[in-house]
Amino acid sequence: MNKGKLLAILIAGATVALIVIGTLWPNAAALALAGGGNLLQSSSTPEAAVTNLAQDIGRRDWGKAYSSLANKAEFTQPEFQQDLTGNRLSLRTYATLENFDLRPLHSSANEAEVQLRLHWSTVVGTFPETRDLHVVKNGDRWQVQWPIVKETRVPPQVIPVNYLRWDVIYRGAGDDWGAQDVEAPHVRIVDMHPVERADGVVIMGELLNEDIVPAHVSVKATLLAKNGSVIASEGSFDKIAHLLLPKQVTPFLITFHNVSLSDVSSVRMDPSASLVSASADPVIAIQDQQFNPAPGASLTGQLVNQSGQVVNIAHVLGTFYDKSGQLVWVADQYIDRALQPQTPVPFRITVPEDLARKVSSERAFTTTYSAGSMQ
Amino acid sequence: MTFIMLAACAVHLPLLLMKLPLKSYDTNFHIFFASHYVHHWFDPWNTKWYAGFSQATYPPLPQQWVALISHITGLDMAYMAVQFAAILLLVVGVYRFSLLWVSPRAASYAALASVFLGSESFLVYSAGQLGTTSAAPIYLNALPYLFDWVRHGSWRSFLKGSVLFVAAAAAHHATLLFGSFFFALPVLALVLIDRNEGEPTSTPSFIARTVSIAVVVGAGIALVLLPFWIALIHYPVTQTPIPHPSRANYILSPEWGLNYFIIPYGALVLAIPFIIWRGAISVRLRPLLLGFWVAMLVGLGGTTPVGHLVLGRAYEVLTMERFSYWATLLALPFVGLLASELIDRFRMRAVIGLSVAATLTCGLSVAWVVYHPADASNFQVDSVAAWLNRDGHDNYRYVTLGFGNKIARLAVLTDAGSVDGEWNSGRMLPELTEHGAGALTSSKYFGKQGTDALTAILGHADKYGLKWVFLKDPYYEPLLSFAGWRHVDDLEDNTIAVWMKDGVPPATPLNAAQMPPHWQGLMWGILPFGSSLLALLIVLIPDKRWQENPTDQDAITHDDIASGRLVS
Repeated sequence: MNKGKLLAILIAGATVALIVIGTLWPNAAALALAGGGNLLQSSSTPEAAVTNLAQDIGRRDWGKAYSSLANKAEFTQPEFQQDLTGNRLSLRTYATLENFDLRPLHSSANEAEVQLRLHWSTVVGTFPETRDLHVVKNGDRWQVQWPIVKETRVPPQVIPVNYLRWDVIYRGAGDDWGAQDVEAPHVRIVDMHPVERADGVVIMGELLNEDIVPAHVSVKATLLAKNGSVIASEGSFDKIAHLLLPKQVTPFLITFHNVSLSDVSSVRMDPSASLVSASADPVIAIQDQQFNPAPGASLTGQLVNQSGQVVNIAHVLGTFYDKSGQLVWVADQYIDRALQPQTPVPFRITVPEDLARKVSSERAFTTTYSAGSMQ
Repeated sequence: MTFIMLAACAVHLPLLLMKLPLKSYDTNFHIFFASHYVHHWFDPWNTKWYAGFSQATYPPLPQQWVALISHITGLDMAYMAVQFAAILLLVVGVYRFSLLWVSPRAASYAALASVFLGSESFLVYSAGQLGTTSAAPIYLNALPYLFDWVRHGSWRSFLKGSVLFVAAAAAHHATLLFGSFFFALPVLALVLIDRNEGEPTSTPSFIARTVSIAVVVGAGIALVLLPFWIALIHYPVTQTPIPHPSRANYILSPEWGLNYFIIPYGALVLAIPFIIWRGAISVRLRPLLLGFWVAMLVGLGGTTPVGHLVLGRAYEVLTMERFSYWATLLALPFVGLLASELIDRFRMRAVIGLSVAATLTCGLSVAWVVYHPADASNFQVDSVAAWLNRDGHDNYRYVTLGFGNKIARLAVLTDAGSVDGEWNSGRMLPELTEHGAGALTSSKYFGKQGTDALTAILGHADKYGLKWVFLKDPYYEPLLSFAGWRHVDDLEDNTIAVWMKDGVPPATPLNAAQMPPHWQGLMWGILPFGSSLLALLIVLIPDKRWQENPTDQDAITHDDIASGRLVS
C-alpha cells in the first residue's frame, strides 16, 4: 500500500474514531446541549434508571420519560406531565431543570429506593423538589415507579367576593396649568436593623403605609463609610411586598454582598411610595402557621386562596421577632404551584440555624401574581 | 469568469435586493455598529448598549463601508451592497486560490461552486456574519500573492499580499488568526513541495521570505487594529462562557447537526470521500487536505474533541460555524477537480447532476432562514423606538425582554441607551459578565445564569438609570411584578408592554476605563478603512502573470494526469 492510500485510510479512520470518542464521551458543553444524555445510557442499575428519567424530564421529553416508568398504567401521560409542570399556569409551567442529584436509600436484587432531588430554575429563582422513587427490576433493566401527585380539582361552585378597591384618576396631559395631581401616600420605616452575615451586610426592617390609600413602595439603602463616602447602594428588589394597602406593614430585606459591617458608619434609608390603583382581592389566608425550631428551622403553613380566581404565583414573606419584639430575620419563599380557589397549598420558609434560636414569634405576609392582572 | 460573476449576480442579487439577510441572526448587529460609525466615525465608544461599550473590540472594516455607503442608499441597502461585493470577491478569491492547487478549468468550477456554496448562503442569509464573509474573500485573494512572494520572490506580490492580509484582518481578526493555520500553512507547504520544480527556491530564501511577510503583515495588523489589541490586552475576554449550539455534539443533538453541518455543507458532504482520497494520494494536495480536515473537525463543534483540544479557552468564546465555512472554502479546489473529472467522463449527465446538487444546496441554505428563523416572532420595533424618542423617555435607559435579535434594530432606531446588547465580548457590566448568559432579552434561554444576570441588572436599575422595560414575552412578568416594576403602557396592539420603575434617576454617562482615548478613535477611523483603500489601489497595479510560469503549470498538470488515472 502506498503512502497516499495509507494517509487516506488514516484520515478516514481518525475522523470516525474522533466522532465516536466525541459522541461516547462528549465534553461538558456538548453534553449540556444534548440535555445531559449520551449514547452510553442504559438502565442497568437503579441509579441509571433514575438518571435517565431525570434527563428525559430535563429535556421535557415527556413521552420518553412516561414510557420508561414501571407504573405508567396507573396514570396518563398528561397527568404525569401535569404533576411536574402543574395543571395551571405557575412557576412550574416554564421552569427548566437546572440540574439534579440522587441518593440511593436502599436496594435489593429486584427493588431499590432512590431519592431524586430536582433543582428547577424559574424566572424568580430556583426551587428544589424531592421525590423518593421506588425502582423495580423488569428483566435486565430497572424502571422507576413514579409517585404521582394529582392536583385537587375545584368543584363547580359560585364564590361571592366582597373586597375593597381603590381607583386613581391622575392629572391628565390636557389639564390646566397648576392643576394639582394626586398626592403620594405617606409611608414610614418602623423598624430597621443592619446585620452582618457570611456573605455581607444585610439590612432588614419593616415599612408601614400610614395613609388611607394604597401605595406602591420600595426601599433603598445606602451604606456610608466613616468619611461619609458611599460604600454601596442597593434596593429591596423582591424581598418586600411592593403593594401596600392602607395601614399594612411589609418586611424588607436588602443584601450588600462582600461588605463588612465594621466598615459601615451609617445607613441612609430611602423609602419611596407612589399612589396606584389597587384592590384587596385576591385574599390569601394563612392556615396552620407554625414555627419549627432548629434543626431544620422553618416557618410552615398553608395558603388558601379565598377568591374565585386562580392565583398563578404566590410569594410568602416571613418576619421573625425575638422575645422583646425586635426583628430577627426576614425570609421568603415563592410557591411553585398555582393557588386554586379554596384549595390549601403548603409553604415552608427556612430560617438560618443561628438565628432560629432567637425567634419567639413570627408573621407571614403574602403577595400574589395572577396572569392577565397587569393589563 | 464573467459568466461566473453573472451567475453570482443572478443567484444573490435578487435575494439581497429583497433584503433577505435582515432576517438573519447578526445582520442588524452589523447595521447597528455601522449606524454608530455614520454619526461617530472617529469615536468607537457607543453608549447605546451596555450603558456604553467600545466598538474597537470588533474589527470595523465592513461596517465602516456600510456606514459610508449608507449616506447614499440608507443603512439596509448599504449592508446589502457590501455583502454583495463580498460575494463577488469570493468568486474571484476562490478562483485565484484554487489556481494554486488545480488547473484553471477546475478552478473555474470551484469558483462557480462558491456561488452555490451552502455555508456561504448560510452565513449570509441565516447567520448574517458580514465580518467573516467579507474577510475570507480578501484573505483568499491574498494567498496567491503569498505563494508568489515566497516561491518566486516577487516584490509586487509581497506588497499586494501584505496590504490584502492587513485589510482582511481589518474586516475580521479571527479569519486572519485561524486562516493562517488553515489556509496560509498549506500554501507555504505547497511552496516547499514545489520548490525544486523549475526555478528552485532555496530553504534560506523560503524562511527569509516567510518570516519577512509574517513580520510586515503582523506589524501592519498590529498598527491598523491597535485600539483593538489595546482593548483585548487590557480587558481580555474572561467572562463566564456562554453556551452556543454550534458547540453541540451533532449526533447527540441532531437538530444542531442539521443546522451547523448538513445545511452549510449540503451536497459537499458527498464529496468528502473524494476529497480525502484525492487529497491523500496527490502529494501537492496533501497540505490542502490537512487544512480542510482540521477545519472540518473543529467545525464539527462538540462532535469530536478536536475543537476543544485545538482552541483551548477560545473554544468557549468562538462559534464553530465559521470553521465549517473555512472548511468548505478549502474543499472548493477539490470540488472543482471533481466536477472537472465528472464532466469529462459523464458529460451532460454530470452537468445536470452537479447543477441539481448545487441548486439544492444553495436553495436549502437560503431557505433555511425561513424554516429555522433567527426570530420566530416577526414584529416591528418602530413603535417602541418612537415611544422612547418622545417626552424625554430617552433620558433613561431601557431593556427589552423577549425581543430576540430585534434589539439591534431597536438600537438603530432609538436615541435611548440600553444596558443590554448583542456583542458579548464588548460588554463590561459586572452584572452581565459574571453570568454565563447572552443577551438579557433572551435570558430565559440561559436558565439560572440568565435569570441571575437579569435579576442583577434589574436590581441595579438606579445605578444605570434603567427605568423602562419593554416586555414582549410574558414569561418575565412575574419577576417584574414581584421586583416592584409597574405596567404603564402598551404598544403594538398590546403585544408589547411598557414597565417602569419609580424613583430611578436619569441615566448618566459611565466613566468607564474602557473608553478609548481620542487618539485611538482617530486611528480607528483612519487606519482600517484606509487599509482597504490602500489595498484597492495597490491591487490595481498590473500583475505579472505568474500562473503562466511553465514550472508551476507543470506541477498542476501532473496532478490532472494523476486524477485522470484515478477516475479511469
